[in-house]
Amino acid sequence: MLRLTDRSHAAAMIHPFGERQEKTYQKLNPSPSPLPLRKEKRGRRRIPSLPPLALFTFSLALCICLSLWGVTSAAETQVPSFQDDIVPVLTRFGCNSGGCHGKLSGQNGFRLSLRGFAPQQDFESIALEGRGRRISPAVPLRSLLLQKAIGTASHRGGVRFDADSPASRLLVDWIRGGMPGPVANEPALMRLTITSIPDRSVLKPGESVSLKVTASYDDDTQRDVTWLTNFATGDSTVLQVTEAGLATAVRAGETVIRASFREEIAVATFTVPFDSQPDPALYVARHNAIDGPVFDKLQALRIEPSADCDDATFLRRASLDAIGVLPTADEVRAFLADDRQDKRMHLINSLLDRPEFVDYWTHWLADLLQNRKERDHDVRGTKGVRGFHVWLRRQVAAGRSWKEIASTLLSATGSTTENPAVGYFIVTVGEQEAEKSEVADSVAQAFLGTRIGCARCHNHPLEKYTQDDYYHFVGFFSRVALQRKKPEEGPTELLVATRHLLNLRKELDNQMAKLSELEHPASDATPPDTSQLENVRKRIEDLKRQIESVENSPVEVRQPRTGEVLPPRPLDRSDVALASGTDPRETLIDWMIDPSNEHFSGAMVNRLWKHFLGVGLVEPVDDLRATNPPSNLELWKVLNDAFVASDFDMKHVMRLIMNSRTYQLAIDTNDSNALDHRFYSHFQPRRLPAEVLLDAICCATGQPESFAGYPKGLRAVQVPDPFTDSYFLTMFGRAPRTTACTCERENDVTLPQLLHLQNSDELTAKVKSPDGRLAALLKRYPNDDRLIEEIYLATLSRFPSTSERDAVRAMFDDGDRDQTAADLFWALLNTSEFTFNH
Amino acid sequence: MFDLRFPNRRDFLRVGGLAPLGLGLPTLLAAESQAGQNLSGPAKSVILVFLGGGLSHHDSFDLKPDAIEEIRGKYRPIDTNVAGVRIGELLPMMSQTMDKVCLVRSGAHNNDHHETATNWVMSGRFGSAFGDWPAMGAIVAHESGFPGTLPPYVAIPRNPSFTWELGKSAFLGGRYESFKAGDPNDVNYRVRDVARAEPLPEVRVQRRRTLLQSVDGLARRVENNDQLAAYSQFQQRAAEMVLSGEARDAFAIEAEADQLRDRYGRTTFGQSCLLARRLVERGVTFVTVNFAGWDHHAKIWPGLESKLPDFDRGFSALVTDMHQRGLLDQTLVVAMGEFGRTPKINKDVGRDHWAPAASMLFTGAGVKTGKVIGATDRDGAEVIDSPVRPADVAFTILSSLGIDPRKQLVTPDGRPVEILDEGERIEELYV
Repeated sequence: MLRLTDRSHAAAMIHPFGERQEKTYQKLNPSPSPLPLRKEKRGRRRIPSLPPLALFTFSLALCICLSLWGVTSAAETQVPSFQDDIVPVLTRFGCNSGGCHGKLSGQNGFRLSLRGFAPQQDFESIALEGRGRRISPAVPLRSLLLQKAIGTASHRGGVRFDADSPASRLLVDWIRGGMPGPVANEPALMRLTITSIPDRSVLKPGESVSLKVTASYDDDTQRDVTWLTNFATGDSTVLQVTEAGLATAVRAGETVIRASFREEIAVATFTVPFDSQPDPALYVARHNAIDGPVFDKLQALRIEPSADCDDATFLRRASLDAIGVLPTADEVRAFLADDRQDKRMHLINSLLDRPEFVDYWTHWLADLLQNRKERDHDVRGTKGVRGFHVWLRRQVAAGRSWKEIASTLLSATGSTTENPAVGYFIVTVGEQEAEKSEVADSVAQAFLGTRIGCARCHNHPLEKYTQDDYYHFVGFFSRVALQRKKPEEGPTELLVATRHLLNLRKELDNQMAKLSELEHPASDATPPDTSQLENVRKRIEDLKRQIESVENSPVEVRQPRTGEVLPPRPLDRSDVALASGTDPRETLIDWMIDPSNEHFSGAMVNRLWKHFLGVGLVEPVDDLRATNPPSNLELWKVLNDAFVASDFDMKHVMRLIMNSRTYQLAIDTNDSNALDHRFYSHFQPRRLPAEVLLDAICCATGQPESFAGYPKGLRAVQVPDPFTDSYFLTMFGRAPRTTACTCERENDVTLPQLLHLQNSDELTAKVKSPDGRLAALLKRYPNDDRLIEEIYLATLSRFPSTSERDAVRAMFDDGDRDQTAADLFWALLNTSEFTFNH
Repeated sequence: MFDLRFPNRRDFLRVGGLAPLGLGLPTLLAAESQAGQNLSGPAKSVILVFLGGGLSHHDSFDLKPDAIEEIRGKYRPIDTNVAGVRIGELLPMMSQTMDKVCLVRSGAHNNDHHETATNWVMSGRFGSAFGDWPAMGAIVAHESGFPGTLPPYVAIPRNPSFTWELGKSAFLGGRYESFKAGDPNDVNYRVRDVARAEPLPEVRVQRRRTLLQSVDGLARRVENNDQLAAYSQFQQRAAEMVLSGEARDAFAIEAEADQLRDRYGRTTFGQSCLLARRLVERGVTFVTVNFAGWDHHAKIWPGLESKLPDFDRGFSALVTDMHQRGLLDQTLVVAMGEFGRTPKINKDVGRDHWAPAASMLFTGAGVKTGKVIGATDRDGAEVIDSPVRPADVAFTILSSLGIDPRKQLVTPDGRPVEILDEGERIEELYV
């Protein structure tokens, strides 16, 4: 008899994104039934007619199987189901994984769908392909399928399970039972539930729990599928899990276990608090709504927060994060001299109003919205890229909300010169038909923080998105048609139509011209042939009919694998009504910007949070899904609510984040928080982004960079085109904007970067320049102490400590003043204190 | 298997905060030098001479003297120091070096687009023109790690490019891109960022060393941050490279005897070959020498007459020099382009792109020399014996270094992918 206990955290793991999320996720993850489970009911499967002897053998085998499944009564006999038993075995033992037979080309001639997303195809591969050579109905254990898996035939994938294992017996039973293929009317799998024995979600290092996974079907039956479940841990340094589902806490922290069976995935969160007894006073100070959830979580985990950062550090941190600019020596002095209690708040307000704010966030959005030239056959040229950049700049400067920017951009029509926002579709649709292009992937990733690209070819491995969901979603873009022109032939236009429709209209125009030529011949021409005239008129009528029919045809997209024609439908599978003759994108936008759509608000909030705190609440930052919950659900809610309540005002969220105590913690780690990267117990130092670092170097040395085609003095964050030649920016990993993935921006620290910083001609010239900062400081400050101070202010935006000043002054006493100063300047530019935000 | 079980290696190298396994960079670097030691194939290094644009096989290594005039072209075959093997008359020095190489006349694939084909042959996997798959050099850097003071993957003078850069590290990330050596034939050749930007007296070198070590206190305040750890580690290594001079020495082509430099030819290609030898001698694992400009759609005769002699001199010098120094025992040298050229000479007296047939050269690391593998038909149009596909070449190169070409890598979005999804070792090279 199976027994499951309903627990409060079981609900949380199914609804990892909280209440507002429910609306979006409801259809994907219905609430688990609170009822205790009844005995597994397995009589739903049809038994094929079999000869009596086979039936007897089969029943015998089934008894063994069922007893293994913990079912006490085997009175009802049945053949294993292809979808519910056989495919899960193939998935559980890795046969259909992406590295083996599940990859597109298969392995060694045997091809399965990735994790069994296409059961009919798998059935054909297993049972029918090669005239059934993989199956030996007479002696099932001699089937190639089994021999490979149990190791009696040579198999590069090795032995997957033993001959007398449940998996092997299941396959044998299925073969003996006549190898039924997928059955359409089988009860549908509705959800999975994870429970742990003992029933605990808070563990100490070294403690273990056994996980049990229960599948629920739409006929109200339930089944223990633990042995067919694949388990994975979110962080193996915190929690490890065995194939059989034994989860063991390794060290303090919090993470999730994901359990997947067929196309369902469930998640359970486990907390492993630290062993320390921190002073409760550490968690008391809170600046705003953000700090509650952060410090509550830290207290629950018994992680000690770091101290607050000092004022100079805060000034530098806030300036670099909010406007991408290094503070000047004067700004440092003024801020340190300011004795107002709330000077940090005033600083934040003034930063968010600076003109450089517009530059920086235009650049930031241009990365997200992929503003670049097309890699081949570009129709816009640098001019078009600049046009879109200027358009974005206007949006930011006018303080338009993310909702407004997104709606305007995604519904853009017209020519690139009239409406530069069309550029977004030029880059993402390119030369393809919209429904075959990357536009759906890009929109989902940039605006919804969802990676659906994988579902183009196979079901999403970690989320419920199927290939059908993908093509339903693609449908919203099926009326985007680009009339592409070479730049010299005029601007490219986006029309709400299909390519087919554009072709028909073009043909109609041609025929109309022809008709008018025939009807009004030049006086000296021969009179028109009436039959020709008649043909053209007929053709015109026909074209008009075709155009009308196409214009009135429902918006649909063909799913290439199944051939099924699918209407547009959002990713949460909610019903949307498409008014005929309208742009389907409008319907998508309405769904998207609905305040209850946490994917839209959450994607932006998570990106902003990552921008300021270094690590997203959800990581990777554009991979929001039920199975990848935020590291602090309460904080997630606070941020999303704040964003929605402000009507999607990005600046409002930035202000909230920057004013929080959380954002103002120092980087210095202590014994209890050194391992924490997800709970914001200390600030995460990180290398400056390529453009900001280059601008900081220019600012410190007083020597601006020159970019070909742009006036000298233009800062790197102001350059619109990511293909603008720059050895530095390429080396430090600016985003090429080829996809919407944030992973494009390279944050790696590499050896060539360090070589460049230490030894490049460019940097050396900037430091040594006679009209540079160092030369000016040397002239202006004959006093060594003062000179040292000014060099520190120009580079690290702080005063040197007494010991630093003394150590450096000793070098000045021993050496040539100019050269020592140059060496100091060089060394400070090379510190991580300069190249990192901290 | 469930994909999440595999750590995502690339993310892992990104922001320290994200490292899903929480390993610090020092652990990673240790693991990497470990990996470096694990590369245990017959070859310790590889030099890939890439003839971008597509060398005409008809006019170099696969002459068809019996074909009609508009196919056989202008050049006569000449005898070589291997009985029965004849090559084009523009290759007199190679003709005396054929005993030290293995000629493959059966390179074959089916894509005649420069970018797509280049990325294909440089990675061994077919993908888009924009480079979906990491080039072999990047794979090698990924597998070998950064064991010495020199970068593991160097491109001389730079990566191939027609319009955009090719042969990149794709999803492996910027860490594994080639180090670009620049043109060693420049009179004032200096390697960007390695050669000292300004002459520094010893006292300043010392002062900079001291300052660098003393002024940067950030790493000491933060534990367990991969980016900071990497920064400190690479900062030291870069300082060693710049200040100690070991790396500069590797690139110091002027240290080679004038006579030898002349033997390689005072051309970009010749000196690139010589620099490649210096680098593998000092422990660089993968060097590409990129020699572009073989796309002779028009006026092919003057084109070849200006380029083939450079190749003839430079490549024969490389093979001979490497042979004399015993470097071929542990270095695999390969020369190839992205495809061959059309049999028929076109109206502009040129040959166009032709993917079904191309010639390649192999030597070193156990390759049996003085022989020919494969053949094309009478017109040099189709391979009729032992076709060698891009994946076979990549398989041979990688396995020669001891890298399992079927090894799985993980893309940033978590997809497990094999380094190569097809191909096998070119066994004829070794028998």
